[in-house]
Amino acid sequence: MPAPLLSLRGLTKTYGTVRANRGIDLEVAQGSIHAILGENGAGKSTLMKLIYGVETPDAGEVIWQGNPVRLTSPAEARRQGIGMVFQHFSLFETLTVVENISLIVPGRKAELAARIRELGQEYGLEVEPRAHVHSLSVGERQRVEIIRCLMTDPRLLILDEPTSVLPPQSVTRLFQTLTRLRDRGVSILFISHKLEEIRSICDRATILRDGQVTGNIDPREHDAHDLAKMMIGRDMPAPRPAIAREPGEIRLELAGLDYRPDDPFAQSLSKISLRLHAGEILGIAGVSGNGQAELARLISGETTRPAAADEIRMMGKSVGHLGAAARRKLGFAFVPEERLGRGAVPEMSLADNSLLTAHRFGLVQRGLINRSREADFTARCIKDYDVRTPGPQAEAGALSGGNLQKFIVGREIMLAPKILFVSQPTWGVDIGAATAIRRRMVDLRNDGVAVLIISEEIEELFEICDRIQVIREGRLSPSLNVAETRVEDIGRYMIGAEERAGI
Amino acid sequence: MLLSRYQLVRRSSASRRVAILAPITALLVTIVLNFVLYIAMGKAPAAVFYAMLVEPVVSWSSFSEVLLKMTPLLLIAQGLAIGFRANVINIGAEGQFILGAIFAASIPVWVPQATGGWIWPAMLLLGGIGGALWAVVPAFWRVRLNASEILVTLMMSLIATQLLAYLLVGPWKDPMGFNFPQSVMFQLDATLPLIIPGTRVNVALILALVWTLGCWVYMQRSFQGYKLIVGGLAPHATAYAGFSEGRAVWISLLIGGFAAGLAGAAEVAGPIGQLQRSVASGYGYSAIIVAYLGGLNPIGILFSSLLIAILYIGGDNAMVSTELPIAAVRVFQGSLLVCYLAAITLVRYRIVRVVTTEARA
Amino acid sequence: MTSPMNRRSFLRSTAAAGLAAGLAPSLAFAQDAPLGITLVLPSPLGDVGWGRALADGLEPVKAAYGDKVKVTILENIMEGPDADRIMTKSVADGNKFLVAGSFGYQNGALQIARRNADVSVLHASGFMVAPNFTPFAAKNFEGTYLLGMAAAAVSKTGKLGSVSAFAIPELITSINAFAMGAQAINPAAEVAVVWVNSWFDPAKEQEAAKALIAQGCDVIFSNAQDTPSVVDVCEKSGAYVCNLNSSMKAYAATKYLGCAATDWSPFFLEAVNAHFDGSFKGHNAFLGTADKVEKVIDWSADIPADAMEKIKAKEAGIISGEAPVFAGPISRQDGSEGVAAGAALKDEEIVAMDWHVEGVTTPLPN
Repeated sequence: MPAPLLSLRGLTKTYGTVRANRGIDLEVAQGSIHAILGENGAGKSTLMKLIYGVETPDAGEVIWQGNPVRLTSPAEARRQGIGMVFQHFSLFETLTVVENISLIVPGRKAELAARIRELGQEYGLEVEPRAHVHSLSVGERQRVEIIRCLMTDPRLLILDEPTSVLPPQSVTRLFQTLTRLRDRGVSILFISHKLEEIRSICDRATILRDGQVTGNIDPREHDAHDLAKMMIGRDMPAPRPAIAREPGEIRLELAGLDYRPDDPFAQSLSKISLRLHAGEILGIAGVSGNGQAELARLISGETTRPAAADEIRMMGKSVGHLGAAARRKLGFAFVPEERLGRGAVPEMSLADNSLLTAHRFGLVQRGLINRSREADFTARCIKDYDVRTPGPQAEAGALSGGNLQKFIVGREIMLAPKILFVSQPTWGVDIGAATAIRRRMVDLRNDGVAVLIISEEIEELFEICDRIQVIREGRLSPSLNVAETRVEDIGRYMIGAEERAGI
Repeated sequence: MLLSRYQLVRRSSASRRVAILAPITALLVTIVLNFVLYIAMGKAPAAVFYAMLVEPVVSWSSFSEVLLKMTPLLLIAQGLAIGFRANVINIGAEGQFILGAIFAASIPVWVPQATGGWIWPAMLLLGGIGGALWAVVPAFWRVRLNASEILVTLMMSLIATQLLAYLLVGPWKDPMGFNFPQSVMFQLDATLPLIIPGTRVNVALILALVWTLGCWVYMQRSFQGYKLIVGGLAPHATAYAGFSEGRAVWISLLIGGFAAGLAGAAEVAGPIGQLQRSVASGYGYSAIIVAYLGGLNPIGILFSSLLIAILYIGGDNAMVSTELPIAAVRVFQGSLLVCYLAAITLVRYRIVRVVTTEARA
Repeated sequence: MTSPMNRRSFLRSTAAAGLAAGLAPSLAFAQDAPLGITLVLPSPLGDVGWGRALADGLEPVKAAYGDKVKVTILENIMEGPDADRIMTKSVADGNKFLVAGSFGYQNGALQIARRNADVSVLHASGFMVAPNFTPFAAKNFEGTYLLGMAAAAVSKTGKLGSVSAFAIPELITSINAFAMGAQAINPAAEVAVVWVNSWFDPAKEQEAAKALIAQGCDVIFSNAQDTPSVVDVCEKSGAYVCNLNSSMKAYAATKYLGCAATDWSPFFLEAVNAHFDGSFKGHNAFLGTADKVEKVIDWSADIPADAMEKIKAKEAGIISGEAPVFAGPISRQDGSEGVAAGAALKDEEIVAMDWHVEGVTTPLPN
């Protein structure tokens, strides 16, 4: 057996009192796809940061191609041949795709743009090289990150939950790409919570729990239930069955919404119509970048259109001209796709982030912030929604993606909304937390709340939605009853009527 | 093969020890650098440093001047810092300061015979209103036309300077002043009461301290202040929560303008005692440095305004007592600021020696 | 260097006295310490101009008294609260002789004089007098009258220009005399004026000079400008130029007409002498050619001999007092009578002159 590409011996990393990694041993073979499985907070992200040189270990050894190395910076890691796609992206929003890539990859912009298109076609990662990153959806940004890594010709590619933003057809295609990369001798470290995916593509899987390795197995020899059990240390909670009930009155109505954004790279919307009733969950499926972001901003009130007030109605009132605060007063709550910088202010404490939308609930009195009520509200949210954090004074930016999402979802639910709108509810969230979030939404539906979900994960939509509509190129499909629809039908709406190669 | 280099690494939390050591280190480095300069110039370094750094603090007459100089800096910087935290960059405090001076001067210029205890408070209030009105233009343009408040506030300052010049050579010129571009001397009731006998320190210092407390409460405790901070840190979160960006711009500019106008009024009604060209003496620009040096924090600004005032007075002292050329005074002031900024970087970052292994064949 | 004891004892006395008038600080060692003379200037001290003339005026004082005086020059001090503080500090340091080199220092300097009876103050261009406070000014108009004669003699267009600092009587009289001197040679001569409202603003001065030359002026009078900017522009544009205070011939090798120079040393020496023997007494010092303070130097060789003869004759008349500059009849700008025939303006009328004579084409600011 050839020497492993990468070996870790007893890697340990401590942040203050938190022991994020404890004596991690790991071997990644040449030309293998190796899964890292674990809940949020299990230490996956820390381990990846150690391998990618973002952090340096307190103890232990990294052996790269047989030689001990000290990886002190990502630049150093890239020089050694290690590439990584982060869960939170490291792109400059004001630059274009090709400008972002040219920061790391040498070469003329025209050549780089050509290579971007080439790689995009080859791996199903199409993206316009001249588009500004701020106009891209989360999914498109991830494609840019993957392409950027591939351009540096790595020996080891670390992918943090790479499939969560891709439609099913593209996942298959990406897996073909990864397999091809493996066959060319590139090893892949694959972080995912999608157990079926891991079983279908990975050669090895290392399972982490509480900063320690709890298993090192061949995933093809275990079923998903076993893997989940190893990961969370107990049996999986069963999904909450939805109670059959008659939908109530219309809470949210979009009536032939047309929208042409100022940004030339943003998606225009055309004749969007939907009706959301009390006591139902409506899901909007679709590949990222087909107008979800624009639609979300129109519904939330972050984009207002005084001239077309009637195109959006909440609780029977025209609201198209109202801002986000006015819509919230009507009983609307919203969890956005971007958690850092939109749903939460990273530099502020969780307590101060509660204030962002919960200020109307007694947290502000006579214009002054009531600190003790703010802390109470936050502590309740942390406890009820199982947010893993030292306390209300922790900075939002210090939380992992999943924990922050739990906090934001919890905060919005605590506002007792009549309409709850959640964009990408479980993107980047571990399996335990994702299940908890989905259960909460079903509970709300059962309690008579109108729930609207935008998600790119079809399985998730099928699990909890009553109805699904698919968005593609700014148009919304007719409403499909989940009980009478197959995953493949949704997939066809997602890619348009005719099958196209490369999607 | 081993390569070594140095790089800045962000600390997980700000170092308290370095926070205390930073200003001291900066001062020591500055002293050493300038020591060499003074030796080369043939000046006695001890005498220069005494005049520049010690005398402003130990001599009561000098320290009272420090307090006088600090007052407008403190007032303006507190107001500006609120806007800066909301990412509304008002660099036109100089113009708002001038307008405050003009508005305040309108009373003694138009009714030079008036007497009564109402005059100076009315002048201060008018000054604040004048400064705020001058900030209305950039606020309106930013909110309605999306024009950069940085450019508009700066241009408004140039206009203010011209307006002052026009009033002084034209309608507001002292008829008995031999055509010099300055207004009448203000009557006694149109000057600020002194609070420390034998000095020029007046009630404006108390106002500035109260204003500091108010700014602290506003930024630390009020929901309105919270919204401004959110706007500065994460504009998307502002839109998400439904806080009005336009309102943040209006509040930031009006508060900044009011504070600068108040300072301008206090300057003409205080140490100057008449409206003249030297009203526009750069306080509005220095206050920007003061605000950032104080970390945009009301308490920090209290100290930074004191520091800058000491530097000014100390520089003047050194010029007068040791015949240090004005250029050398500026070198000292500049090098201290540079050293201080370098030193406080180390509060948040640490220098790490990085050894790189070249493992690849 | 002032000794620390000096400073401390002064501080104690000022603090204790609450600045009560008449309580002079007890400085027993004052006899031994040199007399500190401080000159405060509004502009940077250059090689030429107003500040240089004042600084040069103190040189003979230094030469005469040697170790017994110590001269400190504080340049580029902005008028207003900063100047007040700096002058106060200088006096607090034990300097007993203050030369406040700008009109704008009047309020601050006067207060210092009132609070410190043992300090002697000379104040440039002002009008206030106190027992230990002397305002001083030069009769520049005597020199500019002669320069005006020369200007008309070399001008081809008969159009003269002046770049001037502030529309104060001192500068108005300089322009008036310049115009009257020109009319003595060429009755049709005219003077246009640009007020730049600054003692020191090279960019504005250059612009103003260029504007005047563009209007057809071929002789420019740089009136109370502390930089050679105007002189420089004129040399390059081929216009004759003259100025006040100190010679700028070095900046205009071919087109320099002359300088109405001020030599302050006789006045300064006399004032310092008076301070030492205790006889310093505030008075209005209005000093002219007869006092040897005002004198035109560096005459251009281009001035025709017959004109030069007339100039020399007029200069002699001014010194003797037989031919004062502002002798009637003088018409105002609007043609009305300014000074009746046979009369002449007295000094106190000249220092308050706020009207232009006929032949000055630019109206006074408001």
